[in-house]
Order: sequence, then C-alpha cells, then structure tokens
Amino acid sequence: MPRPRRRLLGLLVVLVVLAVLLMLSVMIGSTAIAPSVVWDALFHSSADTDQFAIRDFRLPRTVVGLVVGAALGLSGALIQALTRNPLADPGVLGVHAGASFAVTVAVGLLGVRDVQGYMWFAFAGALIVTLLVLAFGSTRQGSSPVVMVLAGVCVGAVLGGFREALQLTDPDAFDAMRNWNAGSIAGRPLEVVWPVLPFFAVALVLAFVVSGPLNALALGDELAVAQGVRLVRTRVLAVIALTLLAGGATAIAGPIGFVGLMVPHVARWIVGPDQRWIFAYSALLAPSLLLVSDILGRVVTRPGEIPVGIVTAFVGAPVLVALVRRKKSSGL
Amino acid sequence: MSNTPLLRRGATLAAALMSASLVLTACGSDGDDTGDKAATAHSDKPAETRSVTAENGTVKVPAAPRRVVTIGNTGLPFIDLGGKPVGVTEASDSDLDVLPKEQRTAYEAAEIIGSSGGEVDLEKLAALKPDLILVQFSSKDWDKVGKRLEAIAPTVSWGLDTEWKAFADAIAEVGNVADALSRQKTAFKEKVAKIQATYGKIIDTTSFVDVSRGNWNDPGTFYIADIGCSEIARDDIGLDLPKAAEGKDPLAYASLPFEQIRGLSKYDVITYPVDADGVPTKPFKPVVETNTWKALPAVKSGRALGLFCPGNNSYGPVNRYLDSLDSALATLSGKQ
Repeated sequence: MPRPRRRLLGLLVVLVVLAVLLMLSVMIGSTAIAPSVVWDALFHSSADTDQFAIRDFRLPRTVVGLVVGAALGLSGALIQALTRNPLADPGVLGVHAGASFAVTVAVGLLGVRDVQGYMWFAFAGALIVTLLVLAFGSTRQGSSPVVMVLAGVCVGAVLGGFREALQLTDPDAFDAMRNWNAGSIAGRPLEVVWPVLPFFAVALVLAFVVSGPLNALALGDELAVAQGVRLVRTRVLAVIALTLLAGGATAIAGPIGFVGLMVPHVARWIVGPDQRWIFAYSALLAPSLLLVSDILGRVVTRPGEIPVGIVTAFVGAPVLVALVRRKKSSGL
Repeated sequence: MSNTPLLRRGATLAAALMSASLVLTACGSDGDDTGDKAATAHSDKPAETRSVTAENGTVKVPAAPRRVVTIGNTGLPFIDLGGKPVGVTEASDSDLDVLPKEQRTAYEAAEIIGSSGGEVDLEKLAALKPDLILVQFSSKDWDKVGKRLEAIAPTVSWGLDTEWKAFADAIAEVGNVADALSRQKTAFKEKVAKIQATYGKIIDTTSFVDVSRGNWNDPGTFYIADIGCSEIARDDIGLDLPKAAEGKDPLAYASLPFEQIRGLSKYDVITYPVDADGVPTKPFKPVVETNTWKALPAVKSGRALGLFCPGNNSYGPVNRYLDSLDSALATLSGKQ
C-alpha cells in the first residue's frame, strides 16, 4: 500500500480508538452507572441524580481530556520539531514554570481559590514567561533553539525558587498548589474550556502554517534557508503556537508531564519525519493517552481517584526509558 | 476550620493514652493567672512546681505558669479556656474567623513564633522567656524541635491522636485554667442531654450522613466526615452516622469525586458545613452548586442541614456546634 494511504488509514484507526475511549470515559467512573442511564443522560435527559452525574461530571471531564490532550500532544510535537530535540517538551521553554509561578501568586497573595479564577493567571504566566524566554534566547544572529532552551531552563529555575519560597510561607497556598501541581482534569467544568478554545484555534492554524517550514528546518538551518524558509518567522510562529497550546492546557489541568514528550515520538515511529503527519497523529494520540490514564486513575483506587498527571507519569516514564534505549531512536 | 481533624486519628486509643499520660502531682498553687499580665506581678519566691506525665515523659512544670507559649494545636484550646499565651504559632484564617472576640484579642496579643509546629522560630520563642510550653503536633515535628524546646522551658507535648476531651482536661490542668473547663463541661453535658431528650425519636429512626469539603481537597472532590464534629454527633448525641470499619482509616481521609454525591441519596438527612451566618462554607460551596446535589431527595425535601462547627478540639467551640445541631434538628421536627 502506498505510504500516504497507509498514513491516512492509520489516522482513521487512531480516530476510531479515540472515539471508543471518549465513550469509555463517559461510561466508566468511580461509581458504576448502567449504560442505559448513560444513554438516557446524553439523549433523553431528566432531573435524575445519576444522569446529572454523567452530564455534570463525566461529560465535561471527557471534553477537557480531549482538548487538553490534543493541545499537549501538538505542543510537544512543535517543540521537538523546533528544537530538533526528541527529548524536549513545552516545559523546557518555561511554560510550566511560568504557569505554576502565576498560580502560586494568585493563590498565595491574591486568595484566588477556584479553577476558573486561577486558570487565567496560569495562562498569562505561561505566555509572559515564554515571551521572556524568547527575548532572552534571541541573539543578534537570530533566535537559536539551544539558547532558547537554556534561557527557558534558567527562567524556570528562578521562578521555581520564588514559587517555593511563596509556598513555604503560606501553607494554604501550598495545599492548593499541591493539587494543581499533580495535574488533573477532574472537577473542571466546561466553562474553563470555552475561553481557551479560540487560542487553541489560532495555535492550530499557526501549527499548520509552520509544519512545512519545520520539515525543511529538520535538514539544518542552511538547507532550510536555501529552500526559502524564513527562520526567525518560522521559529517565532512555532513558539507562539506551542505556548498557546501548552499554556492553555496547563491553565486548565495543571502541569501534565510525559504526554507532550512521549506522544510525538510514537507519532514519528508511525508516520516518519513529516511534521504535518506527526502533528495530526500527535493531536489524536495524546488525548487517547490522557483519557486512558484518566480512566485508569478513576478505577484503580476506588472510591477515590488518582490525578491523571500522576498516571501519565507512571505510564510515560517506562515508555520513555524504552524509547531512549531503542537502537533506532526516532530521529527528527 | 472545624474539619481540620484530619490530623487526628485513633481517638479511642488516645483516650486511653491520655488518661494514663497526665499524672498530676500537685505541690500547691500560687494563683490562677497566666500570661503577660501575671508575669509582671511575679514574686521573688521560687515558683511552686508539679510533675506531669505527657507524651514526652514526666515534666516538672510551674503550678501556676505565667508565660505560656502554645505550639501547634494547643493555642486555641488554651485560649478557649481563658488562657492568655505570650506566644503562639499561627492559626489558620478559617479558625480565626470564627473565634469569639475576646479570644481573638487574646490570640492577637500573643507573639507569633512560627507558622506551624515544626517551623517555630526558636530564637523568638526563647526571647519570650516562657515558663511553660504547650505542644501538640506530629511526632515528626517533635523529633525535629522537641529537645530544643525542652532546653528553653518545661515543655508538655501531646500527640495528634489525643482524644479531644482528654486533651481539654490536660490543657486545663497543665495551664492552670481548670475553672473554665468545669463550666464548659457542665454546659456540654446539659446541651447533649437536651438534644437527646428533645429529638430522641429523630435520633432513633433517622439515618444521617455528614459531608464536607476542605481547601485541601482536589477540585471536584468532597469527603464523608466521620471525625471532628461529626464524631461528637455520633458518639455523644447518638446520631446514626457512617463510620469507618474497625482498624480502617476514617472515611474523611478519602476524597470522593463529585459523581459520588449521587450515593448520598440513600440517607434520610444530610448535614454539611456552614459558616456562622448559615451559609455553606467557601470550600463546600461547589458541592451545593451541583445539579446532583440539588436533585438529592434529602435536599429537595429540606432535610439537608447546615451545621456550624467552629472547632472540635475544646469545649467552647463544641458547645457552639451543639447549639447549631439543636437548631438544625428542630427544623426536622415538623417534617417527620
């Protein structure tokens, strides 16, 4: 079968898997609810406690998982393509550090306590810090991915210090941050998703625009320039796109690791080095991983739950080790 | 606030421990005053002492301490008994918000010596020249600073698993504030007897569940409260409230996802935390705002009762809780 058709077929399979997981996410929870009740809750609604449990909790959670997962997967693919580093994730540009610092300020100094309140701080923190990193990482010769990553690590370390100092002096903030830092899609109403969607839409368009130039960049700066790629423009657009995606996802769910790191690898194994396909696969595989992890987190410690950020770390860490030990590690 | 008892467990074990732990060998008393005021009036006579046995062993303490420093959970119970500490570790905003005015004044008059048990500023503490240090915090914190506290002044320490009544008795004895305790205990007994006599039928025939949510809970989670004030309603009043199986962690230790609110439909009456004005507490508000909560039979029939629990570590706040419970149960009388 020709390669493009294989990729398309694979994409359809991934889409079907995602659709099944979306259904399972609505069907399975920390309590058993009959499938007929789930069906009625979705299509023949009434004021029943079981139906409310489906509509008010499981459905929003599933939508949040879908959106956050897609954003994390795509942003991971973008940062790996941009830095030509298969071990990069949006955290290296200070996205998580910026978001965490801003949430700590919101919780500790301003007394903000609910997700709807501090998500905007997280988003703003992620954006501002990434812009700072972009500025620090730009030299007279242009922006270098290596310098950008170093700047991201430095800014992240400084903000991490401030954040910890704030948390140590305020036990309430420490408590609130403990939950947020774990990374979770539980308890997030749909109201936290809608405001972020326009930003994700913009990022999606930008990702599509830069996917071609990023393919050329994988061959090296000189060859990319020779092919007509405008380096600075491409990098700036890619950084904006991945910041909007990772910042928005982190604002909604807190820092969730490994998804943005691992999924683009898997996508690259399946489709090869073409960024356009990697982006498409990452955007579908990442929510699948997130939803599987979330479903696992709901059932393994019933009646309690494990935040999805912890489960993805459990799932992601061994896979990452296997990845880096592979002889034929996925190149970029 | 009232439901911070997450830090305390094993009340039964603790009661036994406390009854054995506080062996007071009084050698006399030279007054019942404490705090700064008293400190200015001290005589040159060597202070009379007595020996008390607590979790950190047998300690020789002043019979009438004048400069008391409270660390961890001992501050508010000591103040509740009329004590005026010269130094305290910081209490949470939610605890301070529900403190009676005179107690708040006593708290604010004291020097803050740290944010929590293990984070005590020892230099500041020593500068206060305390003649007694009262401590209740985790054994981990005790291991960290216990010996250094004992080097500064006689230190009496209780573990977090100390049962609240035994704890109140012990604080009153060691801090020399037993008169107030006696009054509070009498009021407590009267309130319990009144509730049992007035609502006997409801207590015997109704299934209750107490639910709560704290700042520490993940978004979208709550818990079934079976410790703290709920424990008092169950064990002292006799309400039929859920309890963890023997040897298991309290139910309150498990954060339950909101979708399990639907499981509350099997109870006749649901109680939940409210502030002094009867409004659901801030952390609990997300629960009452869910459609699942609103659709519960108990909620729809007016059998969801807000209870004000300003604390459960001493008799003063517990008595206020019993007043709230009394008022709440009164609303059920017409609905039987």
